[in-house]
Amino acid sequence: MAFNPLRSEADAFRVLVYVVVVVALIVAIVELVRAVS
Amino acid sequence: MEAAAVAHEHHGPPPAHRSSRVEAPTLGMLLFIMSEVMIFGAFFTAYFFIRVVSHDPWPAPGTKLPEAVAGVNTAILLSSSLTIHWALSSIRRGNRFGLKAGMIATFLLGLTFLSIQINEYIHIGFAPQDAAQATVFYSLTGLHGAHVFIGLCALAIVTIRAFRGHYSPEHHLGMEVPGIYWHFVDIMWVIVYTTVYVL
Repeated sequence: MAFNPLRSEADAFRVLVYVVVVVALIVAIVELVRAVS
Repeated sequence: MEAAAVAHEHHGPPPAHRSSRVEAPTLGMLLFIMSEVMIFGAFFTAYFFIRVVSHDPWPAPGTKLPEAVAGVNTAILLSSSLTIHWALSSIRRGNRFGLKAGMIATFLLGLTFLSIQINEYIHIGFAPQDAAQATVFYSLTGLHGAHVFIGLCALAIVTIRAFRGHYSPEHHLGMEVPGIYWHFVDIMWVIVYTTVYVL
């Protein structure tokens, strides 16, 4: 079945994990840029 | 008996105003969450106006946000997503103990999160009317806190129903839909925490 972020709790949970990973990456990049500049 | 079974057999498209791909309660929650995203978006607009358009300092001069305590609170809330996922996985396998333990853990973790946030409000040292930054801080975290409160009400109902013997491996939509809402509340907190406390 195609991935649908809000069709089921399991898919919503996967979206949460993806969001956490993406946000952590964004924060890491921002902090890196701040440290360098 | 066989004739009755045949009579209930359904072929062709779903009934009018129903989807064959998504259950109506799940679709309702999906639409509700979309409207919620727009509400949060309106509050984030005020936040980005202060930081990006008017280039005001964040937080307001003379104030400090407790990033570490809020970070621990974030971990608590994320843990509650794990426990509700465990509860749902358990009932899918017919494990009623996992369902009940998972729901109690989720409720208690959510309650802890809300208690810590209220404690933070008490000790943070500024009020909403003190500065635009303070208004935005209380608005965003307060809006989210209200969602946690509503989520806790839903979790309490699910927990009580779980202890009364409701839900089965085949029928557990009544806890799956609040579970989707709870994950949404967690996703919004990750974004609120990152923008308000970290960046």
